Amino acid sequence: MSHSTVPRSRAEAETEKTPVASGGAAGSPQKRPSGKLSLRLRLRRDRVLLLMTLPAVVLVLVFNYLPILGNVVAFQDYDPYISDNGIVSMLNSPFVGMENFQRIFEDSAFWNAVQNTLVLFSLQLVLFFPIPILLALLINSVVRPRVRAVAQAVLYLPHFFSWVLVIAVFQQIFGGAGILSQLLRQHGYNGLDIMTDPNTFPLLITAESVWKDAGWGIIVFLAALASVSPDLYEAAAMDGAGRWRRMWHVTLPALRPVIALLLVLRVGDALTVGFEQILLQRDAVGPGAAEVLDTFVWWNGVRNQDFGYAAAAGLIKGVVSIGLVLAANKVAHLMGEQGVYKK
Amino acid sequence: MSAVIDKPVKEPGWWEAPPRPSWEEDPSRAGLAGKGLALSLACLAILFPLWIVVVTSLSSRKTIDEAGGLVMVPKGITFVAYKELLSGGQVTRAAIISVLVTLVGTLFSMTVSVLCAYGLSRIGSLGHRWILMTLLATMFFSAGLIPTYLLVQSLGLTDSYLALILPSALSVFNILVLRGFFMGISQELIDSARIDGAGDFRILWQIVMPLSRAVLAVITLFYAVGYWSAWFNASLYLNDQDMMPLQNVMIQLVQKQEAPVGLGQAIKTGQLSGLAVQMAVMVMALLPVAVLSPFVQRHFKKGMLTGAVKG
Amino acid sequence: MTPNAASASSGPSRRSFLASTAVATAAVAGGMPLLAACGGSGSGSRDGTTSAKDAKKILPAYVASNVVKPDIPARNGSAIGFTSKLDLATLKTSVTKKLGKGGKVTIMSPFWGSPPKQNNAYYRAMNDLIGVDVVWQNQDGNTYDQKLGAVLASSDIPDVVVVPGWNMNGKIPSAIINKFADLGPYLSGDAVKEYPNLAAIPTDAWQRSLFGGKLRGLPQPAPYVPGIVPLYRKDIFDKEGYEIPRSADEFMALAKEITNAKAKRWACLDMKWTAFQTFGVLSGSEKPLWWNLVDGKLVCRIETEEYLEALEWARKLFAAGVVHPDSELGKNAPDPGPKFAAGEFLIYPNNITQWWSRTAEQATQNPEFKVWGMDIWGHDGGNPHLWADQPAGIFAFVNKNASESVIRDVLAVANVTAAPYGTKEYMMTNYGAEGTHYTLKDGVPVKTDKGNNEVMNAYVMVASPAATLAHPDFPDVAKGQVMWQQRMGAFTKKSSFWGMQITEPGRYTNLGNDFEQLEDDITRGRKKISDMQQAVSDWKSKGGDKLRDWYMKILDENGSAAS
Repeated sequence: MSHSTVPRSRAEAETEKTPVASGGAAGSPQKRPSGKLSLRLRLRRDRVLLLMTLPAVVLVLVFNYLPILGNVVAFQDYDPYISDNGIVSMLNSPFVGMENFQRIFEDSAFWNAVQNTLVLFSLQLVLFFPIPILLALLINSVVRPRVRAVAQAVLYLPHFFSWVLVIAVFQQIFGGAGILSQLLRQHGYNGLDIMTDPNTFPLLITAESVWKDAGWGIIVFLAALASVSPDLYEAAAMDGAGRWRRMWHVTLPALRPVIALLLVLRVGDALTVGFEQILLQRDAVGPGAAEVLDTFVWWNGVRNQDFGYAAAAGLIKGVVSIGLVLAANKVAHLMGEQGVYKK
Repeated sequence: MSAVIDKPVKEPGWWEAPPRPSWEEDPSRAGLAGKGLALSLACLAILFPLWIVVVTSLSSRKTIDEAGGLVMVPKGITFVAYKELLSGGQVTRAAIISVLVTLVGTLFSMTVSVLCAYGLSRIGSLGHRWILMTLLATMFFSAGLIPTYLLVQSLGLTDSYLALILPSALSVFNILVLRGFFMGISQELIDSARIDGAGDFRILWQIVMPLSRAVLAVITLFYAVGYWSAWFNASLYLNDQDMMPLQNVMIQLVQKQEAPVGLGQAIKTGQLSGLAVQMAVMVMALLPVAVLSPFVQRHFKKGMLTGAVKG
Repeated sequence: MTPNAASASSGPSRRSFLASTAVATAAVAGGMPLLAACGGSGSGSRDGTTSAKDAKKILPAYVASNVVKPDIPARNGSAIGFTSKLDLATLKTSVTKKLGKGGKVTIMSPFWGSPPKQNNAYYRAMNDLIGVDVVWQNQDGNTYDQKLGAVLASSDIPDVVVVPGWNMNGKIPSAIINKFADLGPYLSGDAVKEYPNLAAIPTDAWQRSLFGGKLRGLPQPAPYVPGIVPLYRKDIFDKEGYEIPRSADEFMALAKEITNAKAKRWACLDMKWTAFQTFGVLSGSEKPLWWNLVDGKLVCRIETEEYLEALEWARKLFAAGVVHPDSELGKNAPDPGPKFAAGEFLIYPNNITQWWSRTAEQATQNPEFKVWGMDIWGHDGGNPHLWADQPAGIFAFVNKNASESVIRDVLAVANVTAAPYGTKEYMMTNYGAEGTHYTLKDGVPVKTDKGNNEVMNAYVMVASPAATLAHPDFPDVAKGQVMWQQRMGAFTKKSSFWGMQITEPGRYTNLGNDFEQLEDDITRGRKKISDMQQAVSDWKSKGGDKLRDWYMKILDENGSAAS
């Protein structure tokens, strides 16, 4: 999960762990007996398969595993300019032990970034999370296929826009020169600029996320809804349950495991809040409100060339994140064994 | 397409609702109205801003001045902004670069991913478990921005388009989706091909891939959108302004409100509307995505969910 | 002002470019990390400055050039001014033989505004004149610092890199010493005489080009009078009968009178930089200029009462609603040009170069339009106390791996771009080619649209002659600018480290980088003055006090330039 792919892979990671509709794929019949054959025979048999995985394995080793070694600069006063090659510079920069970490823990900007990260995460959890569920229920209750198709097409669309575009669109609506300000001024009020207001910045970020990804988020829930047997509804209706009671007693219980699972996974990813999205707007509202852990690393490393310091901050975030992710997956796994996974 | 309708009795007409099951009560008028309103509002929230962007990009300077900025109601259409942008300047070049990077990158990513997914699709093959674990583990950690940055720099990829493709070429999730799909393909088909003497490459090409068109379309779209939307790697690894892809140029032009190369004077003296130019760039960035994604839409569910396989 | 100003300012961009002018400008203009500036020699143990004794051995000899006698000689730290009509037919030639050997030189430089296409007529004409094939890698000047670090860390550094002083934060000073060539062998002492236009660059400016004890930079000399002028719409002022304010209170009253938000008119943009000037706050450009010796103790600008008072006043303007809403955007604010021309606001502080560039931009479209510079007032109605800027703030460096022939070609470029006013080379550098980039109207060169598009930034970034103000197209503006500088120069003092090129120790270079943001947060009402006081006390304990001792040591060892 390299940085550049964070936005993509995060959304995906959420769905990935949703085995709701995985159907028969898991119990695939393509099992190869391996116990009886010797290594050489297996190598001979599977060499083409191995060859096929080679390019991907090389890419992952080079771009995901190799850089782990680079975290060594977190323990250095790394000076990128003492040589013409990063690795040579790394070998020649002085080690400073835990000094970078000490500095970080004393840096109020770091704690500000931690705080902003957690605030944004909580807000997104509370405000963003329910929306796809509601939208999915809404869409699911529409029976006309064309209406569903059109609505889904529209709702999915912003997911495929880049953050650059999404923010530009928001600027046209809510910016100082945007349509909202324009209308206010035409009617004699002062214009307002939501795009640069640090006080409302967490809400702005959440609104942008909702606009971009809430529609996309409904896919998982739609799938879960589709897996509910119509017989259940029919039985409930026979028992005299009305529309709302059916939703309460049949629909929501069907969604519950998925919701719980997604929640747990989201918590595992708590320290990663929209890096690109926030970086693009950091200048407009200032670091006081917009600095999160990832942008803190970027600012100190790329901007201030304090690579050791930035890498140390990144390492702290990385280690805590791994802990969270592992814990979340553990919980998810337990839940999966009990409910979601139907073997 | 959608879930509940997967077992319709008969393909319903364009606007008529399919028959409801007999046990379901008829919908209330208020309920229908409420649903319609909520859905319309949601769609409007997405489409209205796009409408403004498109309309403003097609408006003349005079219309924009009269509206006091962004235009909601079109008054005449002019392609002046597009003509200026596409007449071979900075934006034209950036658009071409974006298209090429997207094409080459997507092709590369798909090739590597499909090969890898197929290579891992037989449980029990040599090293299968280890390779899978190696890939899966990357979903749980990140080496960090700074070390990755230093690595790409040390590899000499600075100012190379490879820096836009290689570091982010693979999505392990996409590989898992493909793998899940490949694993679901009937083993008899594959076995009979093997008996006919087909090797793995041929099986992949002639049997597996044709049977996986839907999922291939979805994953291709995911990769393509990823490349098309990316800007951060370019901002990090490209120093030459002339190499910047469209998204980065859009940041300059729209977010920072700079004038495109060579058009500064025309905008400053009022021959061209800076706002229309900005909007035109935005339209160029959203158009390919808006046109392509609905075509693949009906496969989304399949694509998104078949990958969920326990490693 | 300086020759660069001419072409530079045609850079329309929102962050006006300020070529060789005061460093601070850029900050104003673009909200650059002004505060981040720092002198630049030496990494690790090589922090500090070059002693006067060592410098003497390295500095190039000075040979004045007397191509054209200025109409207004330099006084009080002003530029030299040329205000009489320039006879283009009798332009002198300062570069008698093409020094370029036809090699290819890539130059990376910050660019403010919208760059022209590669290989345009101006670049071709300049390259022909010089005899070198210069290829420009223009980078957005507003985010230049983000690129600079990455470029210098890569193995693929362009032949020449232009670095403004305010971008020399973090580990950039280390990069300058490790990655750039010592030009001493080519320029020290009499060697410079091979390049007569470089020999005519004042020694002050060369002194500032010493990094890590070696001559590494090709400087842009600048007047030391502060570069930021409160520019205002004189035409509208005259029509409405507005008076130029003489104190902080008068300004506030005037601003309220002007503002009518419903009619889309505000008094001004963010006046923070004017506030600093009127309240006598120490210079905010290079970090060494933040310090001044008061009663035997070094005081830093952020510790002063004046600093807080100035911020409070600038905050009041925002609170009173007299500041144009674009200013809320900070760094992302759009180019002030069009809205200034439309009269949406009447006053904004910016680099003195914009005095001319705004005039030139609108001259053909908008004949009524007249921009002029206000004298800086003392906040209490008395005389202002201004602090001098550095006599050179932007430098061009040559890659240390460049061959001798490349270095010679670079010096050939510099020798042309540093040609003084009144020469063919100056005219080409600053106005482009006659007929293509400017035409003659009544014997006065007037830039064409093509000229306004192509002749900006680029070549003027390499090296320039002694600070010069000359606008043959608008001689009254040139006169106004020089006279402004001379009047303000009378109130300008030099702080303790003026003129020195100082490199702070690595662990302190980023200290204080966050103050500019905090200033903007306070003026816009997002933070309180007490937050600033807290930040200052944090700054002291995090190293500010140690930095004070460090500067004191430099002062003890090298003496002061203070006047």
